[in-house]
Amino acid sequence: MSAPLLEIENVSRAFGGVRALDGVSLRVNQGEILCIIGPNGAGKTTLFNIISGVMRPSSGDVRFQGESIVRWPPQRIAAAGIARTYQIARPFVRLCVRDNVAVGALVRERTLERARCAAQEILESVGLAALADRPAGTLTLTQRKRLEVARALALRPKLLLLDEVMAGLTPTEIDAMGDFIEQLQERGIAAIGGVEHVMRVVMRISHRIVVLDFGKKIADGTPAEIAADPRVGEAYFGTSLDGAGASSPTKGQS
Amino acid sequence: MRGRALIAFIIVVTILALVPPFLNGYARSLLYITVLYVALAYAWNVISGYAGYLSFGQVTFFGLGAYTTAISVVRGHLPWWEGALLGGLISAALAVPLGYLMLRLRGAFFALGMLGLAQTLQVVANSWQLTGGGAGLFLPPGSNALPVYYWTLVIGLLTFAATLFIDRSAFGLRLQALREDEQVASTLGVHVTTTKVWAFVISAIVPGLLGGGYAWYLTYVEPVSAFATRFDLQAVAMTILGGIGTVWGPLIGGVLMSQVSEMLAAQYPQAYLMSFGGLVVVLLVFLPRGIAPAVSAALARRRARGAQGHQ
Repeated sequence: MSAPLLEIENVSRAFGGVRALDGVSLRVNQGEILCIIGPNGAGKTTLFNIISGVMRPSSGDVRFQGESIVRWPPQRIAAAGIARTYQIARPFVRLCVRDNVAVGALVRERTLERARCAAQEILESVGLAALADRPAGTLTLTQRKRLEVARALALRPKLLLLDEVMAGLTPTEIDAMGDFIEQLQERGIAAIGGVEHVMRVVMRISHRIVVLDFGKKIADGTPAEIAADPRVGEAYFGTSLDGAGASSPTKGQS
Repeated sequence: MRGRALIAFIIVVTILALVPPFLNGYARSLLYITVLYVALAYAWNVISGYAGYLSFGQVTFFGLGAYTTAISVVRGHLPWWEGALLGGLISAALAVPLGYLMLRLRGAFFALGMLGLAQTLQVVANSWQLTGGGAGLFLPPGSNALPVYYWTLVIGLLTFAATLFIDRSAFGLRLQALREDEQVASTLGVHVTTTKVWAFVISAIVPGLLGGGYAWYLTYVEPVSAFATRFDLQAVAMTILGGIGTVWGPLIGGVLMSQVSEMLAAQYPQAYLMSFGGLVVVLLVFLPRGIAPAVSAALARRRARGAQGHQ
């Protein structure tokens, strides 16, 4: 078995007296799709902030391809191949859509011209090519979500952190985003998705699911295992998942 | 259109280069002050327009350049332009540590921090023997206007060229990205600190070079005028009026403001400041992003209509 792409070891982070993350450990393998589920405030965004270098953990270690990255600045982590999106889309509103994406492409491309070409290709793959010259501030919420993903892809990441990438989308759009995430592994990109709701898609696309609750990891397993875990049902769904809702993903995965 | 703009640019530069020897003293000094302010506005536009760090203290480097030149001439007997070059070098060298320090501040804190820096240097100049204290330093008198004008014109053109480069380069895109959102820029691979310190150095070296010329032009330096907040306020007003973070903004705003203010001062000396202030307010109410973006939007609309007309 090859070494995991990302290893998070015993990571904690406190804000004042609140333990946003409490001794969380997890692994992501090459090309794997891992979904982190948990209610609002469970610590998903804090974890993404720590992995992407925006925030330092109070204790614990983060290793990417075997190297500790916990003290690296964000730009070095980005260049090494970890890209992220933000829960609330944060486009560079006064820059055009293409330039928003070109910023990330500059990590790989020498000239601005080539970065813009690369950006255009990525925009075509996410269906924003027609809007390339528009200021990003004029995009709709759905388009902004796609722009977040496009910008992250411009780094040509090995690992993509998708923070609440489904939030605010319609059911059709959620399915489309699910398909998109599934296709990432064909391109050799692993993904960690942070998701509060939309269990249906999570069960369909995840190889593995991690459940966070009040900063603690309470479960880690395949969708079938998670659906069958009584602790998850109680902590997350407020009730056990023995009912009909869990039966179809269980069948699909086993 | 691009070719025509280039020809217009060459004609303007030729006029600016050839006409001054034939002007009278008043017109020449008006031209010098206009070019000086436009150049300062271009320098300010890099850190404040492209990088988004509003500064009220770039005059720190202007004063530094002025004093470096005066000290070099008076105490070191160097030619003035060597002193001015030295002022530019010292400004650039000082801007690196200062940038690392000051650019940790954001928004109003950075603006006020820079203002405080200029005030601090003013106090230092006021109380140090080397700088002549409150009386300042007197340079040998002479007809210095023309060489200083050309010095300023060349540096202004170089600053304009730097702006053109920044506007079309990867460096410029990174600057604009960090202006919009530093954290997002960093997670997209932008080395935020290095990028903005470079912008700060560019915005420091230009006033550092120009301050020496100003000292030689006035034939003296003293603390209050060398570190006058007025220089920054002018650059701020001109750039915002013309269009902040644009290639043409400082030029449009700078030329317009200095000419209109001169005209109003000549025509209505009593009501000049009031009418001038009112004019700036009215323009900004109707064109909040400045003149240059409004003009380019209008041109884009006309081009779009023209394209439709052809089909």
